[in-house]
Amino acid sequence: MTQLRFHKGLYNPDAIAAAVAAFEPFATFERSEEPEHLVVSLACTQPGEDEASLAGEFSNYVLGATVDRVKPEGQKS
Amino acid sequence: MAMSQESQVKAESADGVIRLSFEESIYPKDAVFGAAYVLLDRAFVHIDRNDGRLQISVRPKPGVTIAADAIAGEFENEALAQTWRREIIHENRAMLESITSRALGGAAGPPGLDDLLDASLGDLGDAFDDPLGIAVSWEEKYGKKADGDKPAEAAGPDAKPAEEPKP
Repeated sequence: MTQLRFHKGLYNPDAIAAAVAAFEPFATFERSEEPEHLVVSLACTQPGEDEASLAGEFSNYVLGATVDRVKPEGQKS
Repeated sequence: MAMSQESQVKAESADGVIRLSFEESIYPKDAVFGAAYVLLDRAFVHIDRNDGRLQISVRPKPGVTIAADAIAGEFENEALAQTWRREIIHENRAMLESITSRALGGAAGPPGLDDLLDASLGDLGDAFDDPLGIAVSWEEKYGKKADGDKPAEAAGPDAKPAEEPKP
C-alpha cells in the first residue's frame, strides 16, 4: 500500500475525489485526514502492476486536475 | 547524492528522485503548479509545503531517458518563466482589459439608430431638442394627402411645365 499526502492549501479536494473515481478500476483507496494534509492510501488491485508508477500517475492526475480547477486571476471573486 | 543551493531554489537528488525547494514568497504557488503541469507527461511530480517553502519531488517516468537533473533544471526554468509571465500580466492588466474591451466592442458592429437615440448624452443636456421642428422630415410636415395629389399640382401655380423630350 502506498500513501500519498496532499497539502490542503495546495491541492483541491475535488481534484482528489476526481482522481479516486478515475483510478477506482485499478486500485483500492483509503482516505484519511491530517491537520494539514489529505491522505490517500492506494493499493493495486491488478497483480503485476507497478504500484509506485500507479501512485505517481495518481499524484499527477490530482495535480493536473487541481491546475484545471484553478480560476484565472481575473475571474477570482 | 548531489546538492546545489542557489539564492532561492534548493535542489537535491537521491535514488533518481529530484527534490526542489522554492521560496513561496518569490515563486507563487500558481507558478510552481504551472511549471509542474508542463512536466506531467515525462515525470511524476508531487508538491508539498513546509515552512513557507514549496517542496517538489520530481521522478522521471519509466522509459523516459531524460536525466533527472535536466528535468529539475527545466522545472526551475519553467517556474521562473511562469512567475515572470504572471508579473507581466499583473503589470499590464489595465492595458490588456482595455484592448480586449475595445476589440469586443468593435466586433459588435456600429451602433444602430435606436442605440444612438437611447444613448445618454451626458452633459449635452437639451442640445438635441428641436423646438422649431427643423429635424422633422418633409413627409411628416407636409405629408401627401390621402386622395393622392399629383407632384405637379403640389409644386404650385407658378411651376414651369416639364420640358418635352427632344428628339
